[in-house]
Amino acid sequence: MASAKAAADRIVKLKRLNACLTPIKELRKSLAVQASTAHPSGVLYGMPVAVKDNICTLEYTTSCGSKILEGYRSPYEATAVAKLKAAGALIAGKTNCDEFGMGSSTEHSAYGRSFHPFDKTRVPGGSSGGSAALVASGAVPAALGSETGGSVRQPASLCGVVGIKPTYGRVSRYGIVAYASSLDQAGPFATTVADTALLLEAMWGHDPCDSTSIPSEPEPVLARLEEGVAGLRVGVVEELTDVEGIQPAVRAAVDSARNLFEKAGAEVDTVSVPSVEYGLSAYYIIAPAEASSNLARYDGVRYGLRAPAAEVATMNALTREAGFGAEVKRRIMLGTYALSAGYYDAYYGQAQRVRTLIIRDFSRAYERFDVLLAPTSPTTAFELGAKTSDPLAMYLSDVCTIPTNLTGATAISVPAGLDAAGLPIGVQVLAPALGEAVLLRAARSLEAGFAFTARPTLGEAA
Amino acid sequence: MGERMSVTHDEVRRIARLAELEVSEDALPLLAEQMSRILEYVAQINSVPASEAVKPFVPGPDAVRFRADEVKPAPLAFGPAELAPAFRDGFFLVPKLGQFEQEEG
Repeated sequence: MASAKAAADRIVKLKRLNACLTPIKELRKSLAVQASTAHPSGVLYGMPVAVKDNICTLEYTTSCGSKILEGYRSPYEATAVAKLKAAGALIAGKTNCDEFGMGSSTEHSAYGRSFHPFDKTRVPGGSSGGSAALVASGAVPAALGSETGGSVRQPASLCGVVGIKPTYGRVSRYGIVAYASSLDQAGPFATTVADTALLLEAMWGHDPCDSTSIPSEPEPVLARLEEGVAGLRVGVVEELTDVEGIQPAVRAAVDSARNLFEKAGAEVDTVSVPSVEYGLSAYYIIAPAEASSNLARYDGVRYGLRAPAAEVATMNALTREAGFGAEVKRRIMLGTYALSAGYYDAYYGQAQRVRTLIIRDFSRAYERFDVLLAPTSPTTAFELGAKTSDPLAMYLSDVCTIPTNLTGATAISVPAGLDAAGLPIGVQVLAPALGEAVLLRAARSLEAGFAFTARPTLGEAA
Repeated sequence: MGERMSVTHDEVRRIARLAELEVSEDALPLLAEQMSRILEYVAQINSVPASEAVKPFVPGPDAVRFRADEVKPAPLAFGPAELAPAFRDGFFLVPKLGQFEQEEG
């Protein structure tokens, strides 16, 4: 199949991005096998889809960008992957990511950092940076990522592609390696809103293997994409648009989006969602707390790395010390601290109360508005190494995406232009839980208005 | 809670033990400093007027649905023998259980 060979050729050409972790020989071999067995009747027949390395596949290893799972082959595949394959897609390798999804730049991977497809001195965003970079550079038409605090939308924004975070429970988490289970959700990347909708429709739906999967079947979204936004009520979230440190070009892109919505017939106004200002803090308590529990399974006993030691407790600790990178250890430590006796209520208990408040504030906003508008990331792609020595500065780049993960709702990033340095800017549309149809329709309207076409030239870029 | 926010080296050692992480003495000062800064930042949630009346978010019955209590074998492409660092006769092998075994012995 020509599409499979072409995808492999392009991935080879773009090796310098360090976006694909699968060795090229293995990739070519698997693509050839998959091409010969793919379902010709599927809506994605022959479409190469790269998959983030924390999503289990039978074709390739699943290392989560971590040394502790180096060479790990999963004995089962994620439901989302199985569904894509059933629709005829070809799984085109595993993409680099921040270890276990913990990061915003794809610099925290045990397999080296990934590079921005437009500018090799910059990050592609993260944690699903490899997936975003491969789609932006045209190596694959689509890719899978996962989000805990914005890890699809933020790299989509930084790389100039579309990325969606579906409603919590819409895409099965079965086979997606757990980081923070109350927040984790997989989502697709593509260059257009229509392709994003196509992938979403192929991969979502109820899965009995995930206890948090929503039992009802989702409504079709692709068929309603072109319905327009006339009469739609759009609220511009003040707290996210005026967020500290926002780049003027990003702020201007939100204004442009506002104008485009108005021109297309939507009613636009500003809205305050006061508690989102505390979203980042609540997130960096809840996510590490859940991570400290979820990552306890990496103990050198059942799978993954084992560091030799004479007795089991030492073996556990040495294995985890050798297998986890600095950011993962930091988050496990923070989570353990937040859950420890004497601190539990002040940190974890209070963070969960704040989460309730954020959900309440968004519900109030959605009484007046159908969708909300905000920046995806306060800045465009930052330079490599700019934030690696300052974890808190790195965390701040998730400030606009985190609220949607905390509420379990849905949001999408759409490319909105380039800044003065030629780097993509993304704007974000948010909708209430299960609001993917209206979300994608609004995103499609913005996409048509912005008419973003910037792509790095294959083989010549950066 | 502001005054006791800074994380001491002893606290880092204690948390590392709880988290089953081996933190070297060299790594302690930086980790303590980073954890202190992050915890000082996230402590701003305590200024949120989230009174006792606000219930903490818990995934309730709507979020976690009970499933039929049936044993359904998960189809695996291969078994634990191929995944485990050490496996024999249907068992995961581990080194001795340290203190526990010494007490018994």
